[in-house]
Amino acid sequence: MTSESSMPRQLLPGLLLAGAVATNLLVSFSMARISHQWLPVQASTAAPYVDDLFALETGIGSFIFLGCIGVMVWTLLFNRADKYDMDDGDPIEGNLRLEIVWTIIPLVIVMLIAWKAIGVSQTLASLGGKVRVAGAEDAVQVAESGSGGSAPAGAIEVIARQWSWEFVYPNGVRSTELHLPVNEQVTFRLISMDVLHGFFIPAFRLKQDLIPGSVIDYSLTPTREGRYRLRDSMFSGGYFAANQTDVVVESATTFSRWLEAAAKVPLQPAANPATDLYRQRLARGDRGWATVPPAPPPLVHVSQDPLAGHEA
Amino acid sequence: MKPDPQMSPSSVFDPRVLKAPHPVPGAPDNWRRFFGFNTDAKVIGIQYIALALFFLLVGGLLAMIMRGELLTPPSDLVDPTVYNGLYTMHGTVMLFLFLFPILNGFNNLLIPPMIGAPDMAFPRLNAAAFWIVPVFGVVLMASFLVPGGPSSSGWWAYPPVSTQNPLNHFINGQFLWILAVALSGVSSIMGAVNFCTTILRMRAPGMTLFRMPIFCWTALAAQAIQLGGLPVLTAGAVMLLFDLSFGTSFFRPEGGGDPMLYQHFFWFYSHPAVYVMVLPVFGIFSELFPVYARKPLLGYHVVALASFGITFLSLIVWVHHMFTSGTPQWMRNVFMVTTMLIAVPTGIKVFAWLATLWRGKIRLSTPMLFALGGLFNFIFAGITGVMLATVPVDIHVGNTYFVVGHFHTVIFSTITFGVFAGIYHWFPKFTGKMYYEGLGKLHFLLTFIGAQLNFLPMHWAGLMGMPRRVASYDPEFAFANVLASLGAFLLGVATIPFLLNMVSSWVRGPRAPANPWGAIGLEWLLPSPPPAENFEHDVPTVISGPYGYGLGKPLVDDQERYVARSQEA
Amino acid sequence: MDTPAHGHPPAHDLAHAPAHGGHNLTGFVIFLCSESLIFLAFFAAYITYRMSAPVWRPAGVEGLEVREPLLYTLILVSSSLVIWLAERALQRGRLGAFRGWWLLTMVMGSIFVFGQAQEWAKLPFGPQSGVFGASFYLLTGFHGLHVITGILLMGLMLVRSFRPGNYDNGEAGVVSVSLFWHFVDVIWILLFLLLYAWQR
Repeated sequence: MTSESSMPRQLLPGLLLAGAVATNLLVSFSMARISHQWLPVQASTAAPYVDDLFALETGIGSFIFLGCIGVMVWTLLFNRADKYDMDDGDPIEGNLRLEIVWTIIPLVIVMLIAWKAIGVSQTLASLGGKVRVAGAEDAVQVAESGSGGSAPAGAIEVIARQWSWEFVYPNGVRSTELHLPVNEQVTFRLISMDVLHGFFIPAFRLKQDLIPGSVIDYSLTPTREGRYRLRDSMFSGGYFAANQTDVVVESATTFSRWLEAAAKVPLQPAANPATDLYRQRLARGDRGWATVPPAPPPLVHVSQDPLAGHEA
Repeated sequence: MKPDPQMSPSSVFDPRVLKAPHPVPGAPDNWRRFFGFNTDAKVIGIQYIALALFFLLVGGLLAMIMRGELLTPPSDLVDPTVYNGLYTMHGTVMLFLFLFPILNGFNNLLIPPMIGAPDMAFPRLNAAAFWIVPVFGVVLMASFLVPGGPSSSGWWAYPPVSTQNPLNHFINGQFLWILAVALSGVSSIMGAVNFCTTILRMRAPGMTLFRMPIFCWTALAAQAIQLGGLPVLTAGAVMLLFDLSFGTSFFRPEGGGDPMLYQHFFWFYSHPAVYVMVLPVFGIFSELFPVYARKPLLGYHVVALASFGITFLSLIVWVHHMFTSGTPQWMRNVFMVTTMLIAVPTGIKVFAWLATLWRGKIRLSTPMLFALGGLFNFIFAGITGVMLATVPVDIHVGNTYFVVGHFHTVIFSTITFGVFAGIYHWFPKFTGKMYYEGLGKLHFLLTFIGAQLNFLPMHWAGLMGMPRRVASYDPEFAFANVLASLGAFLLGVATIPFLLNMVSSWVRGPRAPANPWGAIGLEWLLPSPPPAENFEHDVPTVISGPYGYGLGKPLVDDQERYVARSQEA
Repeated sequence: MDTPAHGHPPAHDLAHAPAHGGHNLTGFVIFLCSESLIFLAFFAAYITYRMSAPVWRPAGVEGLEVREPLLYTLILVSSSLVIWLAERALQRGRLGAFRGWWLLTMVMGSIFVFGQAQEWAKLPFGPQSGVFGASFYLLTGFHGLHVITGILLMGLMLVRSFRPGNYDNGEAGVVSVSLFWHFVDVIWILLFLLLYAWQR
């Protein structure tokens, strides 16, 4: 009977397609799971949200990528013309249903991702207020007084220079290594004394530029003890790549002990890789292309430990 | 029965190709015409392309040195200040001296024949626009020689770094950089006025806008962006120059200025600029896939209109380059949404190309290999693009090597692949010679592998927290960087078969027939190479849409006569 | 032999007339639209600075004098009417009247430039005086450059008007320069409103 013998043949393309889609879903789901391994250790409350959003996009992206490449590979395998075959392919000029589907579905997907992302941004609520100021000294004044911004008392001033990081604690301790108590929200007042810089801690998944002429409030909550890298992420001139330091997240007791001890150490110029590099350059006859000389290293109680390794 | 010549072309094995006399009657043979002020769009097109390929080598050399430095974590090959100058010039040369000129070269070569026009609307303006390019090329190269070296603030030239002028000289690298970019803008605007006027006013009889090849649609869409965006960049550049050289305070906080304003002006143009670069390549893909699959482009009308969808949307997304700057959260959210929207018209094109391949008769000549490779890479880049559009993810990966990986996957692995595809595809038409297919395939293989090796590891390094623009990095990023550098060196090697092929094929390659690919289009109804004024006094009347493979209708009235005429030469 | 469709000129004309009048005007209009965006960008910068700069006017500067600039504004805006009269005279073939009105436009434009230079000389602040000074001189200077360019282009058109057969292919040059002049005027009106009328 025609229906019996043609049924398997009719079903075959449908089954193949279903199988391909199922395989794709499986692989994409695995990619989403694996994607967490491509990211550093999660050390702040923001990290799980960011990583999950990234995993979602990796999964959806893998599905789309593999689907499209699957189509390409299929045509390369089964639609190749023979060597001297100059015949035309199927003269299909359009397919309205298909075109509507491939317009609507991507639109829905990206809007859903955007909606989810807006929710994540609201939850993280890292970015606080921004106050315009008329210069570096003004910025320091505003940052210290806590005026104009939304920062609660107890914010840590972050001062970026070409090329060093300085952290000023509410009790007056100055350091080039950032110590933070675990599981407590901390607010920073970000200022730059010269050019644009970027406050970037990969383990926290957070980044904010420091803008000369502005004081920016930024908050986060570290969730994991350890030593992590803080890197300057906005190109800031000659020795920009050396403008890095460490963030040490420790228990509340260890942190307060560190803070008390630090207050007792006399102020001295911080150890500064950029200054060393510039000194070496001068010793070699100032050979190289133009750069402003590094700002003098800040006077601090505690310097960054140059020998300590970092986790992320 | 004689086979329809439009439908059954010859390959390099065709005896007509091997036995044709040389030189080609009607094609001017004087090589000197390429070195003078020549108003023929076809000469200008070759001039642009050759000059651009020269600067591709310059920019590539700079990249080789950069990747040599990045082979090891410490800054041990060149001084960090030298590295900063190198990466700045690498970006600047690649964008302004390679990409924009080569795309203008394609516009010059392709637009008049594709629409049946004899030349551009303003031939002398056309030549002038070209000759500005070597001038600002010299200005930019000269900046390597001034005291203090070239501009070292990145191709973005963000103040205050770009206005610091450490040596306090009036003529410095940054000054020359601004001058060069300004001249580039003048040349581009001249070109844009020319291309738009030509496409809008000089099409052959019967060629309505919806019978125009997609390449012309995307060219029009891209040049519209140039006209709308470049003036804003100019404004920003003027203000930057004044801050740098005349002590004004547009971007100096001490005087009440704001560095953020520069970023807005810069990106208002420079984001749409990436669509200026990618749209013509979308056009090239749209031309090539129908030819090498022998199928109509699926959804031609929507693909055409999507080009303008991209144009309009591209003008309202620029703040996605500033998610970590001082922008407020509401602004970040708005621009995230608009950026996501661009995925839609772009996706329409991608799916249309895939559907064009489906059930086609695929031939894997070199142009098709590059087009397929470009499409493959673009799908990947589109996905990382959506990730970058997502604010919380961008906060983490912005200004890291993830971004560097993303945009190189677009600019090199998609756009430059498309440029190579176009060069191979139209090489026989405009030089009258056939290139060597074996070398072409070798070029593709090395380039494809080199590109994946170079740019994929960058994504991983960025996710793990490696910032961009650094001359040195922490040791945990070493493995990714070694892979990337190896890929870069392979890309350098890959240029060799390409250059050999171009030069030796043009000088002593086999004669190319009028239509080696059996393609449908007005340019394929002309001899190879076409005479100075293309169809001259005998412009065909277009009677059907483009890409009519398998539909049985000729493209123009009296088509056999044009085909016969094209084969006479 | 070739019957053109859709009102296109015969194909051989396209081949042998390099750039005839119709295309010139299209090209110029496209260019002008693009050029206007530079000014719009500068306006956006001015508005942003005026509304958000922590320090706006330099110390000791109360504001801008309005009466003299208003007078020069009236002269410039009237010159748009004059250039329109010139165009009308040309359309009616009255070359003498055309040249007269055209020259008067140039004179009025020159008076405007002179007035601007006078104002610059008398101002108590310079381009380095904060973001207000920088914006003021940038906007008026850029506009002034365009006025000077307009006067020079008009001079070129005036010289050309003495060439026999100059208008055989149409008056695209005169129309374009006239359009440019109107554009310069409109920009000035917006500038005047921003700089002088909208003062804190």
